[in-house]
Amino acid sequence: MTPVVELREVGREYQGVVALRDVSLTVERGELVGIVGPSGSGKSTMLNLIGTLDHPSRGEVRIDGHAVRELSDRALSALRANTIGFVFQQFHLAAGVSTVDNVADGLLYTGTGLGQRRQRAAEALETVGLGHRAGHRPHELSGGERQRVAIARAVVGRPALLLADEPTGNLDSQSGDGVLRLLRSLNETGTTVLVITHDREVAATLPRRVAVRDGRVVGDG
Amino acid sequence: MLRVGGAGLRARPTRVVLSALGIAIGIAAMISVVGISTSSREDLDRRLAALGTNLLTVGPGQTLFGEQTHLPSESVGMIGRMDPVTSSTATGVVVDANVYRNDHIPKTQSGGIAVLATRTDLLETVGGTVAKGTFLNDATAAYPAVVLGHKAAERLGVAAPNELVHVGGEWFTVVGVLHPAPLAPELDTAALVGWPVARQRLGFDGYPTTVYARSRDDAVHQVQAALAATANPEHPDEVEVSRPSDALAAKQATDETLNALLLGLGAVALLVGGVGVANTMVVSVLERRAEIGLRRSLGATRGQIRSQFLVESLLLSALGGAAGTLLGILVTTGYATYQDWPSLVPAWATTGGIAATMAIGALAGPYPAIRASRLPPTEALATP
Repeated sequence: MTPVVELREVGREYQGVVALRDVSLTVERGELVGIVGPSGSGKSTMLNLIGTLDHPSRGEVRIDGHAVRELSDRALSALRANTIGFVFQQFHLAAGVSTVDNVADGLLYTGTGLGQRRQRAAEALETVGLGHRAGHRPHELSGGERQRVAIARAVVGRPALLLADEPTGNLDSQSGDGVLRLLRSLNETGTTVLVITHDREVAATLPRRVAVRDGRVVGDG
Repeated sequence: MLRVGGAGLRARPTRVVLSALGIAIGIAAMISVVGISTSSREDLDRRLAALGTNLLTVGPGQTLFGEQTHLPSESVGMIGRMDPVTSSTATGVVVDANVYRNDHIPKTQSGGIAVLATRTDLLETVGGTVAKGTFLNDATAAYPAVVLGHKAAERLGVAAPNELVHVGGEWFTVVGVLHPAPLAPELDTAALVGWPVARQRLGFDGYPTTVYARSRDDAVHQVQAALAATANPEHPDEVEVSRPSDALAAKQATDETLNALLLGLGAVALLVGGVGVANTMVVSVLERRAEIGLRRSLGATRGQIRSQFLVESLLLSALGGAAGTLLGILVTTGYATYQDWPSLVPAWATTGGIAATMAIGALAGPYPAIRASRLPPTEALATP
């Protein structure tokens, strides 16, 4: 079976500044992996490359068997729409739009009709335990609830890979624990989950940890 | 796609209203200019239809050497005998007489009122009507009786018939006051006296200065061409023929120049509105980098981001266009009602206005939309 994520000697430079050098990483289907490192270590660059939002300066990135370099904008977008789910530190929910419609936006670019999108969004909200909050707007929710809405949006399309960038960064420890529990339970139902964090405590709870420092992988296991 | 574009607008209602307002003002200005001028033309057309465009006037011109001539006294009869002429009449200026309210007014303060010797069938031909009292008849035409034009009565301060005014040194009784006569505005500022009494008492020379003739509608141009030779066969070149309805239409034509100017101003307002929309969209793109990044991460292609912002700017201009069209129609209706005109906004103006706004939206949209679509998703997401 092809690995979900495959980085081969990947490097990334921004205007002469090296953010990532010679990184090789393979993530198999069904894994729960933490990418851990201090800020500026290059872990966000890794996430962007794995999420196909950015292209490497050298090396090869394969997501779900597809070589990212060879794909057009349209094919990359389709890959993001169907295979990858994103969760961000800042949630990025649309203000003034109901929770269920925020989640339904996760299917906006998959060619699913509106009725179907809403129905699946309601189901995804149930999965994250926010079925009773469907009609609320983001500003009426707590931070932890907002992040769970964002997770529901990321998984509503049942992606093979879920990328979470500092998902607990803006949350108190109790809400953070809830979010981590949710990610773990999603992983148990078959989703490959990659969590990026600088928080050692969070990292300690994850089965596999990839340590990143100064643009290199310095530990894996 | 419309849904996504509309949601972007709904999230920022104040800005949407303000930037749509620019377009709305431009469109409203253009539509009301077109609407008002069309309504006024329609009003003129209806008035002309009521008054008739078949009235012709004949007056004395100048000789080759610039001397003032006069029409032969027989000209009225000659014109009346032309086959297509249905009625004809004449007035003659009584050069030596002026009208005063009473005998104490200084001679120089004549008030600009002309004394005209008038045939009794004047009104039927020019289409005038009496507001108060009666017009001159065969009996009163021989006696010191006078009918005042609408403005003349106002200037003399005569409110009702039976008052006396001083005409050429004699007391005349006012027997009637006329309504305004649109086709013969010279009657508005005239005091009309009978032909015989003018000759006997006011030193009138008996030569007509204006001959009015109504012709059959289908023969107006033929009659117009033949009138000079008929009125003065000896010197047709010394006769001036005109058609009063043409003068009204010409006045309308001069208004068109002003309309063109206003239309230009409207176009400038529209342009400024379009720039406003472009500006709003550019700012919106900058402000919504995070949203663009999110949409890209959710799987939106560059094309989909581009269309989203294009649809937004089109919706924004369409909103402005619709509001402006409505406003323009309201302004036209309001002004036309105020002026007592029929209210008319031509369909080409409304469709043209809406097409113009769509064009503006299509022009203002691409630049911000392309900027949004070219934004690298990582950079877009990096902005908090």
